[in-house]
Amino acid sequence: MRTAGPRRFRISEPAILVLAGIIVAMIVFGALASDRFASVKNATNVLEQAAPLGFAALGQMLVVVSGGIDLSIGAIVAVSSVLLAGTVNGSGTLMMPMLVAVLSLGAAIGALNGVITLRTGVHPLIVTLGMSSILNGLVLLYTLQPVGKAPVWFEEFAFGRILGMPMAGVVMLGASALVALFLRYHPSGRSIYALGGNREAARLSGIPIDRTTILAYAASGFLAALAGAYFVSRTGVGDPRVGDMMTLASITPVVVGGAVLGGGRGRVLGTLLGVLMVSLLNNLLNYLSVSTFYQWVIQGLIIIAAVAIFVDRSKRL
Amino acid sequence: MIELRSISKSFPGVKSLDDVSFAARAGEVHALLGENGAGKSTLIKIMAGAYRPDSGTISFDGQERTWATPREAKAAGIHVIYQELMLFPDLSVAENIFVGNEPRTPWGAVDFRAMAEKSAELLGRLGHQLDPHAPIKDLSVADRQMVEICKAMAGEIKLLILDEPTAVISGREADLLFERMRTLREAGVCLVYISHRLDEIFRVSDRVTVLKDGRVAGTQDTSAMTRDSLVAMMVGRKLADIYPEKPKVVRDAKPVLSVRKIRMPPRVADASFELRPGEILGLAGLVGSGRSELAHAIFGSMHRESGEVRLAGVPHDEPTPRRSIDKGLGFLTEDRKGEGLMMLLDTAANVTAPALQEFVRHGTLDRSLEINAAAEEIARFRIAVPSPTTGVSGLSGGNQQKILFGRWARTCKTALILDEPTRGVDVGAKVEIYRIIRQLADGGVGILVISSDLPEVIGLCSRVLVMREGRVSGELEGADLTEESIMRLATQATIPRDLRKAG
Amino acid sequence: MTLNSGTIQPRPVFDVLRRYQMMVLLASLVVAATILQPSFLAPRNIRDVLTQAAPLGMLVLGQTLVILVSGLDLSVASLMATVAVLATAFNATSDAMIPVIFLVAVAFSAVVGLINGLLVTKRNVSPFLATLAMMTVLQGVRFAYTQGAPAGSLPAGFRWLGTGSVLGLPVNLLAFLLIFAVLSFILHKTVYGRMIYMTGGNPRSAELVGVSSATVTIACYVICSSLAGIGGLFLVGFVGTVDNWVGRGYELDSIVAAVIGGVALSGGSGTLAGATLGTLILVVLFNITIILGFPIQAQLVIKGVIVILAAALFARANEKRT
Repeated sequence: MRTAGPRRFRISEPAILVLAGIIVAMIVFGALASDRFASVKNATNVLEQAAPLGFAALGQMLVVVSGGIDLSIGAIVAVSSVLLAGTVNGSGTLMMPMLVAVLSLGAAIGALNGVITLRTGVHPLIVTLGMSSILNGLVLLYTLQPVGKAPVWFEEFAFGRILGMPMAGVVMLGASALVALFLRYHPSGRSIYALGGNREAARLSGIPIDRTTILAYAASGFLAALAGAYFVSRTGVGDPRVGDMMTLASITPVVVGGAVLGGGRGRVLGTLLGVLMVSLLNNLLNYLSVSTFYQWVIQGLIIIAAVAIFVDRSKRL
Repeated sequence: MIELRSISKSFPGVKSLDDVSFAARAGEVHALLGENGAGKSTLIKIMAGAYRPDSGTISFDGQERTWATPREAKAAGIHVIYQELMLFPDLSVAENIFVGNEPRTPWGAVDFRAMAEKSAELLGRLGHQLDPHAPIKDLSVADRQMVEICKAMAGEIKLLILDEPTAVISGREADLLFERMRTLREAGVCLVYISHRLDEIFRVSDRVTVLKDGRVAGTQDTSAMTRDSLVAMMVGRKLADIYPEKPKVVRDAKPVLSVRKIRMPPRVADASFELRPGEILGLAGLVGSGRSELAHAIFGSMHRESGEVRLAGVPHDEPTPRRSIDKGLGFLTEDRKGEGLMMLLDTAANVTAPALQEFVRHGTLDRSLEINAAAEEIARFRIAVPSPTTGVSGLSGGNQQKILFGRWARTCKTALILDEPTRGVDVGAKVEIYRIIRQLADGGVGILVISSDLPEVIGLCSRVLVMREGRVSGELEGADLTEESIMRLATQATIPRDLRKAG
Repeated sequence: MTLNSGTIQPRPVFDVLRRYQMMVLLASLVVAATILQPSFLAPRNIRDVLTQAAPLGMLVLGQTLVILVSGLDLSVASLMATVAVLATAFNATSDAMIPVIFLVAVAFSAVVGLINGLLVTKRNVSPFLATLAMMTVLQGVRFAYTQGAPAGSLPAGFRWLGTGSVLGLPVNLLAFLLIFAVLSFILHKTVYGRMIYMTGGNPRSAELVGVSSATVTIACYVICSSLAGIGGLFLVGFVGTVDNWVGRGYELDSIVAAVIGGVALSGGSGTLAGATLGTLILVVLFNITIILGFPIQAQLVIKGVIVILAAALFARANEKRT
């Protein structure tokens, strides 16, 4: 989001066009391949599945645009999920307060990531990698099996419907809209782009580096915690392994959507389309009875294709 | 307007500024000269609020002030345009101008429309047309500088500091810049102008301050100085002695480097020339005329589309840096930190870099041979390092450049291309470098000097080619070799064949 | 032995202190372990510890080379497991097949490394993303092949490779030492090693003195992957069984070990000896957690803490350097 003027819609990212094209192609292909694919039921299905990935990818995007990377997302998802289900343990009254607490914890962990990288000068790759290991270790020390219980009504988050659309999906889209507006119109949002675009210039222009960095990582942590809450809602329990693939999964949509690992560029729309594409792809492959194993292969190939085709001459991680 | 009194600043291991007192008035252009390492950048950063002085006071606009952050200094009306332009490549012109300072709507959101309007207005005031929505990465360097100036003008500006702005622009663009500076000066803004180019100092400044080794060597009215007295203040030597005598070149000697119709889009259209042994040939032209690209094409670090290159008569097709080096061609690039030195390695490793195979004994790299070779070059070029195993990252620009000369002097027996050999080098080291260049030429090597510093080109080179838009537009020597004639060739269309000077 | 590029002049007191900092740390950890379990220093136990560490050590050597050229290889652990699965596909029982299996494994790994290297150099893909993608692809390939349940067999000789000894020294440790010696020689004593440091420190400058940064970089990725393949075979030999998750987590471990050992993520600085010290430190730490009776997940926490601490320490030291 970098055009000056809301009325002028410059397609700044060729990636968005390509993504849109691919999505359309997939829908067409899917519709031809299987009747059940092109149904409203399936569409809501996809949106439902996309929600957690969407939260994670949004958070990752914020961090990436600011010039960093967050490898602790999966771990935060796991921590939130286990903590939430584990402490609530079926109690209806504890649910909301604990939800708030867990979301705050996610934000706090994210903020901690930011503080550590700022104070020590260590690359965010290492900081969040280390944090991920620490958190995973702690979670697994707490429990190796899914634990806890959420009150039945919490299911609404994952399975509920608003105007026929899945609640979680709507929340995800709402969050995306909020983040998009924030990035575009709020000075702190603009600061995130500046920070990622040219750190030294940002410093000399008076941009508050510390605050902006912490904000990005805290937001990422918060959104990861939200994804964790989603999983609790969907399964009713807290699973320490639920975040295992999430970290890597959160990177694909961001990169494929046009954000560059060096920072300074990227649009929420691109990330959203990336999320949609990945979810759609998984959905499609399921319908075609392609095993999960091949899905992994395809995911990997997609990342390679996305970054290899659009040769990126800017700074890299 | 701004006055610094007894400022001192140290960093671990080095005292950057030692009891420096400096003052600049409103409505004047005050030039600041000094070696890199003399403390200029530290002084600037202190004025801009990026560093805090260890001791001393600053008063600005009549009041004693200290700034905790660059933001505060900016708010007070101080702006710096750094040599490495501080812009955001993916953001638009308007966004860059107003970064950190965006106009807001009543709700507190960023007002993009107002931003674009105000940017257009600022650009108009400068008389420079640019699309406010264009991303910076699509702009030329000169345009980017204009954006930086607009950035400075976006708020209230009282003090504008320019750090070597003409290092990356030349000719007409530089003229435009000086015009803008004049406009600002007349409006009462105080300008501090840093440059190594003496002719510019005389052209634009009202007063000059020379920094040397962290101390003030003197402050004078420019009108009261001559080139000689200025150089004397900086280096203790007369101007006339800066450039060595030009080498006498045998006219009919077989060229060490002959280049024919080189074409490498987008920058090089059709370039041809010959370089004779022992000759110091200049290559002048505006920034963007294709000189560096031509050098890369010859050396093989960029791939040329067509054309012929011969080294000492032998065809040099499909060149790669490796092949060029093996054939005795060297290339000292314009960016010594990014494209020349190995910043993490020591002096010896840097000197021996192109010719490592020479130092292999029994399959291993013999360190002592390396160190000896480096010691030879250190002595020969009087490089100020404690030992051949000193790291290069902490050295001054002049010393670093000498190390690069040491490197190429060893391996190029045929021809050497120098791209801006004295950029960012203080006058003292410049003189030594000119001597080195003359020395190398005397050894029979043909030297091609690419430079945007016209006095340097005229003083150093026996013959000068001028490039314009990817072509050699003309050749000058002897009495015809003047700044005006170079500029004319650099900015006009190719002179018709019959009017071109005979070789 | 220096902890930074062998050609940087060590600044007197500070660097000497840091050189031995690692060894002091290792020594104190060993002392601590011995206090907790007196049998720690018994030859038998040391042998066991080193045997277990050897495959990781090989991995770390390869990872160090890649980090030296400003890269990163996240696919090493996945490659280890894939190679292990590949080995069982031979369904071989005769020890004579072992060299063949090794050859195929190394060839396969080298190709993987070549792809990684090409992506990074020719298509300018971030090493993080390229090797991440490769890791995922390899994972999918091996799971698809085994359908989640590896079958097939390995010749018994692998067990010997993984756990056997020659003249009292574990075979895989000997293999590691051999690899270490060869690579160290190349890195510190030959032109090729110098080219690695040049490419990692200033790739553009290296190009302009005739070094082919691309070739050097690709070579490092190829070596790294090959070592991962070899390490995978030795690890399988050590563990005794093959499953889809051989070496799980080793990519993180190898990066942690290198970082602890003073290898700079930005490239161009670090030594194999340092990285190996880092490996030992990590391994001893893990052993201490086991001695203390902590569950294995505690190692994850320790890994995380120590990598951040080590990186922070080196970051501060490097700041002072320039």
